[in-house]
Amino acid sequence: MTAPGLQKRFQTLVDDHKKILYKVCNAYCRNRDDRDDLAQEIIVQLWRSFGKFDDRYRFSTWMYRIALNVAISFYRRDSTRMRYVVSDEKHLLQAIDETKSQPEEVRFLYQFIGGLDPLNKALVLLYLDGNSHQEIADVLGISETNVATKIGRLKKTMRREFSGT
Amino acid sequence: MAEMDDLRKTWAEYDRKLDTNIRLSRQILMATNLNRVRSPLRRLAFFVGLESVIQLAVVVALGSFIYEHIATVRFVLPAAALDVFAIAILIAMIRQIAGALQIHYDKPLAIIQKQLEELRVLRIRYIQGIFLVATLAWTPLLIVALKGFWGLDAYRLFGAAYLVANLLVGLAIIPLAIWLSKKYGDRMDRSPMIQRLMKDLAGYNLNAAAGFLATLSEFEEEKREHAVGFLSSHR
Repeated sequence: MTAPGLQKRFQTLVDDHKKILYKVCNAYCRNRDDRDDLAQEIIVQLWRSFGKFDDRYRFSTWMYRIALNVAISFYRRDSTRMRYVVSDEKHLLQAIDETKSQPEEVRFLYQFIGGLDPLNKALVLLYLDGNSHQEIADVLGISETNVATKIGRLKKTMRREFSGT
Repeated sequence: MAEMDDLRKTWAEYDRKLDTNIRLSRQILMATNLNRVRSPLRRLAFFVGLESVIQLAVVVALGSFIYEHIATVRFVLPAAALDVFAIAILIAMIRQIAGALQIHYDKPLAIIQKQLEELRVLRIRYIQGIFLVATLAWTPLLIVALKGFWGLDAYRLFGAAYLVANLLVGLAIIPLAIWLSKKYGDRMDRSPMIQRLMKDLAGYNLNAAAGFLATLSEFEEEKREHAVGFLSSHR
């Protein structure tokens, strides 16, 4: 495939999976500028790794791995961040803040996720998105039994956290 | 509402709405020059690579100086000390380059985050080492540079007492620098680079990295028997 063809295919795939981008950015960043910076960093990293993407695997699993790895690094970095595109008015992921019509439960879920450490944030996102234990284990690099144990623990904590809502 | 299955259903509904609620700006995506942007890790490897070439030249120059003055212990000793320091720096640089180049973000989180944090620890120790040893290296550097560039003998020029005093001042600066970093590191919020350097020197960043490595190990372990709280101390 030619370079422009590859780039077009990449952009289409990213567009098809923009929800992953949106949810990861929302879970790891509190303000809009950071979310936009993170979205751009993820896209750049996805593109850089795209040549090695193996079609036999699901694009979403591959995208989750990269997006979450970049997000955790971004979250833990305390230095100045490099912006790839200077754009004060337009945002890469539009409607990030416009979705105020979110159900209350979703806002609580984001609040809950926001309070977790970066690794458990990843686990909760993958779980809520309906990934199987095997897929979660594959993205996180831990065993399936470990995933099951953590999800069991997570259910208890969430039940406790959400019992008042 | 308390059951996870209900929450998952709510999340799935929200997910479906996102299809129509969000839009990825193609215009900005196209404007992001994907090919020209170098990742922070590649940038680190590139610049450390450049530094290591210079460092190699320093090691060679010091080796040459030692060879030329092999019979004069008072010149060989400071040059040898500097050479050991320079070689240690070069090794640390090569380790950083190797560490940065082997990180690929499409690998599982537990592996990549561990590699990243180990690289961070290596980088912090490198910065700490350079700063702390540099305060002591000033005196041997003066001796070697005067002799190497101008053929002057620093022992005769300044006297041994002056050189020893310089070494002691260098030693005294180390705890002072650590104390200042601990006291003022957080206040450098207008200069993130200086703030990071001071936190590196004070050991705060090293502690944070060690803490995250411990969290990672815990995350990788299966602890069925300990139903410890899921929420982290970050809450």
